Amino acid sequence: MLNELLLSFAEWLDTHAWSTNLHESYYMYNWVEGTHVLTLMVFLGMLAVIDLRMLGLAFKDVPASTIAHRLDTPMMIGFVVMVVTGFLLFYAIPVRSTNSIWFRIKVVLLIAAGINALLFRNKMKGAVNSWDTDPLPPKRIRVGAGLSLTLWAGEVATGRIIAYDWYDCHQQMSSFMYWAAGCVNELAALEQAGG
Amino acid sequence: MDTLPFFEWLDTSILADISKAYGGTFAIVQVFHLLSMVVLGGMILTSDLRLLGVVMRDVPVDTVLDNTQPWINRSLVVIILTGIFMSSAVAIKLNYNEFFWAKMASLAFGIFFLYAIKRPLLRGDLSELNAWTPKVLAIASLTVWFTVAASGRWIGFS
Repeated sequence: MLNELLLSFAEWLDTHAWSTNLHESYYMYNWVEGTHVLTLMVFLGMLAVIDLRMLGLAFKDVPASTIAHRLDTPMMIGFVVMVVTGFLLFYAIPVRSTNSIWFRIKVVLLIAAGINALLFRNKMKGAVNSWDTDPLPPKRIRVGAGLSLTLWAGEVATGRIIAYDWYDCHQQMSSFMYWAAGCVNELAALEQAGG
Repeated sequence: MDTLPFFEWLDTSILADISKAYGGTFAIVQVFHLLSMVVLGGMILTSDLRLLGVVMRDVPVDTVLDNTQPWINRSLVVIILTGIFMSSAVAIKLNYNEFFWAKMASLAFGIFFLYAIKRPLLRGDLSELNAWTPKVLAIASLTVWFTVAASGRWIGFS
């Protein structure tokens, strides 16, 4: 049911002239994608500096809250640019993205990373006056930072692998994979052939 | 200088065999290339924005430079190693790709600029430098590394 809804929405987006124009514009599409990739260095680059501090692997001689607070603004600027360009990339190729197993994993990882970031922020509030100046923060903070880096690395990996067609709907796949990738028509055809 | 023989050799090397035989290996190496770009970019941005007085103004410049440099070194090593592997998959094509050469030229200049100009100039007593010197170095550094990343991305589009 959800797969059908998502596909209908993607197909509706696909009927927009702007979606097609953006996809077919060599410079516009590549500029948007290039900006999305290069902004990784602003958003994830700043996040990596913060997380490495929380892991006790960099800036050990600077209070943890100083690193987190001072880099928060450039990181959030990068995040906003990534979200805007990310939506544009989805808008340009809505159907294939909706039917991409990698894109789907990427969205799940994004939600998980968001939840982890919210929990992490709450833990950070207790930093001042306790472990702020410790070269090696407490274990719960290190776990949160390690999880953050892992989830975002997964985000980059799945984002990059969307370009490969290994599990696209036109490939021969199991019914589970068709379902997981949201290949509604292919799954129906497979079930019809099986039944 | 005719660079084709080098790329012909790379095209027949064991690296090319691996990258062409297993598409998944190429994709994974590409992800590590991107992740090390993230670390390199993050560390360069942090140090250059500090030199420009945009972020971490309450942290001494020396502290920022000393903490970012080891990660810049590590990420550069990973970028170069993964880059060589990725190049082997499309070696002949790269020999004729203008953006690949733009990237190689800017990367070589970026490394030279970082280790032969920026670091030596900032290693001494900063108060003895002209107040504009760190800022000019930071702008030059950001421009060079942006060119490396942007021309690298455009290899895939060209």
